[in-house]
Amino acid sequence: MELFANLAHGFGVALSLDNLLFALLGALIGTAIGVLPGIGPVATISLLLPITFGQPATTAIIMLAGIYYGAQYGGSTTAILLNLPGEVSSVVTALDGYKMARNGRAGAALTIAALGSFFAGSVATLVVAASGPMLTSVALSFGPADYFSLMLLGLIISAVLAQGSVLKAIAMVVLGVALGLVGTDVQTGQQRFTFGVPELSDGLGFVSIAMGIFGLGEIILNLERPEARQVMSGKVGSLMLTREEFRRSVPAVLRGTAIGSVLGILPGGGASLSAFGSYMLERKISKYGHTLGTGAIEGVAGPESANNAAAQTSFIPLLTLGIPANAVMALMVGALIIQGIQPGPRMVEAQPDLFWGLICSMWVGNLMLLVINLPMIGMWVKLLQVPYKYLYPAILVFCAIGVYSLNNSVFDVYQTLFFGILGYIFSKLHMPAAPLLIGFVLGPMMEEHLRRAMLLSRGDVGVFIERPISATLLALAAIVLAAMALPALRSGKDKALAE
Amino acid sequence: MKISTKDLWAGGLLMFLAILGLFINGGFLGIGLEQHTLGSARRMGPGYMPMLVFWLQFALGAFVFILALTNGPDPLERWTKLDFTTLAIGVAVGLIIWRVMESMGISTNYVQVGVACFGALCILAISPAWRPLGLVLASFAIFALLLEPLGLMLSIAALCVVSAVADRDHNPISVAGMTVFLCVLCWFVFIYELDIRVPLWPTIFG
Repeated sequence: MELFANLAHGFGVALSLDNLLFALLGALIGTAIGVLPGIGPVATISLLLPITFGQPATTAIIMLAGIYYGAQYGGSTTAILLNLPGEVSSVVTALDGYKMARNGRAGAALTIAALGSFFAGSVATLVVAASGPMLTSVALSFGPADYFSLMLLGLIISAVLAQGSVLKAIAMVVLGVALGLVGTDVQTGQQRFTFGVPELSDGLGFVSIAMGIFGLGEIILNLERPEARQVMSGKVGSLMLTREEFRRSVPAVLRGTAIGSVLGILPGGGASLSAFGSYMLERKISKYGHTLGTGAIEGVAGPESANNAAAQTSFIPLLTLGIPANAVMALMVGALIIQGIQPGPRMVEAQPDLFWGLICSMWVGNLMLLVINLPMIGMWVKLLQVPYKYLYPAILVFCAIGVYSLNNSVFDVYQTLFFGILGYIFSKLHMPAAPLLIGFVLGPMMEEHLRRAMLLSRGDVGVFIERPISATLLALAAIVLAAMALPALRSGKDKALAE
Repeated sequence: MKISTKDLWAGGLLMFLAILGLFINGGFLGIGLEQHTLGSARRMGPGYMPMLVFWLQFALGAFVFILALTNGPDPLERWTKLDFTTLAIGVAVGLIIWRVMESMGISTNYVQVGVACFGALCILAISPAWRPLGLVLASFAIFALLLEPLGLMLSIAALCVVSAVADRDHNPISVAGMTVFLCVLCWFVFIYELDIRVPLWPTIFG
């Protein structure tokens, strides 16, 4: 079997000392920021991007991936112990997890969260390994028109699934594409929207945008509403599950894994949507569905498995098509491009070390996270006792130095400041920022494919509906948009994403 | 009235940015700041895609704006008189500083941008509602201003002190302790481990 040979090769890469160390580092950092509310994986990964420049591409991506799925583990800890979800994807976990903690079963909730995540992560890794090469071969037959339609579909889905108004989310995608126009035009070399500033000829800084909007913006908002931090009450208790709890969790974990693996692939889907999806499913299907919300173990096992499975499978569109499914994946694209690797269907062939090494390191990382989270839970609880007043200056300092060291230029620091203001305005006006980031990354690629497609078709727009792949993708995009116009579906989505 | 003020502003902002973009691009009423070649659909020039994108953005902004008239009420937070005054004075002072420094020819390394931002943001921070915004961003500006002339250590200290004012719980001792800790930590991570190219101590005198 070729798959096993490839996996063996991947484990060879993933188990090298350097890669193991950086996977561990990523997992540790990820858990830490998952535990700490107010700083998410997007801000952290953009913060650490400059540090990865010196590493080989594989090592860099392994570490960044570790941060992402580590955050899914860490986020559940605070959700369960303090009713304070560290990440959006853990919001659902808090519903039943915190009730369990109050019933004295905090230990059991933490255990099932970690075990469920580990199981889901392992299965999802296999899904990535099996479907990756398959999708890649499909993707290789894509022409420029197909690529353009695919990205359009991706952008529309990510906007539709974003929180709040679909119209505003689409507008933000377009604004992101507009921001992506700044810089040198690839085909003619003309400077666009640079205002004679030499630093802008390479385009706006991706890290500056991400860090300004997500990092600075978040700190400012946190300082504006100084909610009283809850103090951890009660003990974690025994980590062991009772037989009854174990029996009830198994089906929930299986269902969560399945739903997470599927929803994770959708652009814009990712971890939080799958957690909600799984919770809804448990409420409908599970025999104990009516007890959900009162401290039922299914309410922890399902969503926690789902969000971790989704965190892994959201790598599929990135690794096979070069299209980021969410803001974190958009950062990964940035990291790859900085390393000189163009993400896309040729990556599996051209960079087998990267592709298979990353997949195997995901599994290794999940194993590490199990150890990091369960026996060492006390350490993470301690971390929660660091007051925010010490935390935010530290984050600011790291942001500032990180941005500066990108190009050794203070211009980037001012750029970040500017996007901090913009991010603040966006959040005040309820304009979702994640679609903007995805638009910014996909925009330049879309322009290139659009221009190439139009050149090949001699200016005939019909090419987009004449090619079967492109036509199908566009039809899907239209259906998704039309479906969102139906009031019944829209209110359903609002309900699912609310809370 | 069921006006959503948030959406009204959001739509307005989107339309404003779109018009600005079209104006710079040169596809709007034939005037333009940079005048990019449009080209044809077959051979798109550098101005073609921006034109499409900005018109689309304008249309979406207009939609948001129109729908905002009925899908409220969703009011913005109330601004006090002080909020308005500090914002107006801050912006004015920032612009004046920038103009003056620009005309004096002090513009190496974007120092005029930094000083203008810092001044404007500090004035903004006088109003309690703007304080987190003003001081967090001001601490960023002062870091950028001081980094190359005064070195990493002093800029970290400046960032810590300015940003710490944004939180009421800080006292001088906690700020000092935090500053020392962060200086040591950053020295270890960025200088010792990662070896980034940045002056550690003041270079302006040496």
